[in-house]
Amino acid sequence: MTDYYQTNTRFIPANYQAALLLEYARDQEIDCLALLRGTGLRPQELVTENSLLTPGDYLKMLQNLSEILPDRATSFMLGQQLLPGHMGNISHAMLHARNLRQALDILIRYQAWLSPLLAPHLMTLGEQTSLYWTDSCVNHKLRGFVVEMMMTAVTGMSRWLSGVRLPWRYHFNRTRPAYIEQYAVHLGTETKFNDYFDAMLIDNDWLDSPWPRGSDMATKVALSEVEKESSPSFSRQSLLSALYDYLHERVRLAPTLEKSAADFGISPATFKRHLAQHGSHFQAELDQVRTHITLQMMSTQGYNNEQIAAYLGFHDANNFRRSFKRWTGLTPSVLRTHLLQPSIIK
Amino acid sequence: MSYNYRFALLTMILVAGLCIGLYASLGTGKPFTVWKWVDIASEGGIALMSAVWSLIILTSRPSGRVTTMLAGGLIAIAFGSWVDCLDEFFAIPHEVYWDNWLESLPTLCGVLALTAGLYLWRQEQFSLNEHMQKRERLFRDHRSFDRVTQLANADYLRRQIRLEQEQNPQQPCALILLDVNQFHRINRQYGQREGDRLLQAISHLLLLNMRPDDLLCRYAGDRFAILMPATNQQAVSQVAQHLERVVNLLAHHTRAQSERILVSVRIACAVADSEPDKLLHELNTALEPTPPTALNAAVIT
Repeated sequence: MTDYYQTNTRFIPANYQAALLLEYARDQEIDCLALLRGTGLRPQELVTENSLLTPGDYLKMLQNLSEILPDRATSFMLGQQLLPGHMGNISHAMLHARNLRQALDILIRYQAWLSPLLAPHLMTLGEQTSLYWTDSCVNHKLRGFVVEMMMTAVTGMSRWLSGVRLPWRYHFNRTRPAYIEQYAVHLGTETKFNDYFDAMLIDNDWLDSPWPRGSDMATKVALSEVEKESSPSFSRQSLLSALYDYLHERVRLAPTLEKSAADFGISPATFKRHLAQHGSHFQAELDQVRTHITLQMMSTQGYNNEQIAAYLGFHDANNFRRSFKRWTGLTPSVLRTHLLQPSIIK
Repeated sequence: MSYNYRFALLTMILVAGLCIGLYASLGTGKPFTVWKWVDIASEGGIALMSAVWSLIILTSRPSGRVTTMLAGGLIAIAFGSWVDCLDEFFAIPHEVYWDNWLESLPTLCGVLALTAGLYLWRQEQFSLNEHMQKRERLFRDHRSFDRVTQLANADYLRRQIRLEQEQNPQQPCALILLDVNQFHRINRQYGQREGDRLLQAISHLLLLNMRPDDLLCRYAGDRFAILMPATNQQAVSQVAQHLERVVNLLAHHTRAQSERILVSVRIACAVADSEPDKLLHELNTALEPTPPTALNAAVIT
């Protein structure tokens, strides 16, 4: 059985991200009550040590903030301070990560705390590595906002801890924003829009280049503390994130809703309902995983359509081509030329 | 400000109620059939709208002489129209003269006060324009202003570049982008509020060192842009070097510990002879330090 958290699971300590939001709101002279509108939370609850929030509360607070402050800088300003953050031992472990690879491993392993709304994943694409994000508990309206926030968070964290501005290249699953200046200043000019991933790419060399604050000892101690503190029943991934990993592993075994529900230890009807509550359904999740795997195989192994079709268990390449067009709106060959181009800067 | 506004609102409601009481006790109610609806709507409407306008003035402007005159004038007009409107509901005996006075005098005084207020407001606006000249140039759009520095934003900058290119195609303008080094560290170490104070200090410093026709904008984050009309490459490079030296000399002290923060900037500049988006992209790219290779970075750190 795989355990997972949902939008309404109460597990995020209030003194993590919410405290940061509160401080930001206070600096902008925004009333605390306006920030909490619609969450049912009271201001006192945010300052008490052990109160917990749901991802839905956190998302609602971000939405309130984005509506009160029409300023497009908000997501980027919030992101700057987010990592390593002040989340006890997890932040401490990240602060002393020996290199980018370890910092990203910590981010992915402790995503429930560090990034409860978007799930980070790592994928190797030949000479470069992609840190890409899929939905955990985010709605369509706030997706762009949270992507900006999390990418700025990782950019800022890696810049601070490594001591240099790392040459990240950014891909966004959205149209080019009118406020491109925020991207240029906070992320850089290597940005590409209208892509299939929300991803940050970097050359592999940077992953293992040592960081000045790195300390194996400090990280190890901090992480063992985290493991000791967290209860064994704690879910480390959201429903969508857990399902993504599950499907990624079993994509060749023709996974079905019924089989997956059984492996997650719940009935297919409940599973369906939970997915619907996150604005998704089983087929959409499976198509997303298959698209991602196709893109990875094209760009790294240089697989042709027949090879990918065989890998994913399609009858023939034609069948695969048709399905792929349904998932992405493009045929594999069009996408292949698109992928092989160096990132188009606009 | 909010105190003024509540006070004015309460007073107006109270006076409006008192007037109804006065008319009801001294006059006789007119029968429903002789009510003139057009008069009621126009006089009542003027009263209501003037009251709303006075509240808008009170809630949006800082207190002071101009605000008092504008709001006071509107309140007096509202009062006069309200009394006029009550005439439509109550018949006052002909031998009573005060109701005529009550209708005309406040309206007259109100119009005079409003006129005087508008005249003073015009003068106030002239002095504000002078103050805002380097921040906004040719036209005003309040949505384009940044909350922290009170400077125009990137959107406004792009429109101004286009405007400048259209109006003076013979004399190309120049553009400077200026980025504060290690600003993210200052934000982390001293907090965003201190970072904002530093940005304000830098914006003041830059404004003092610009020509009257130049425009300063906050591009985004810690990046500023200066648009210089009719400026060639050589001139803009000189200005850029000068600004770099000026900012390096800034002695900014934190509010909490009064600790001096050392500030330095990187500058990129060019003659604005291409599309604003393309030009800004090039300057942004020029500002980003090319990172060393991973291997070199390891040696440096």
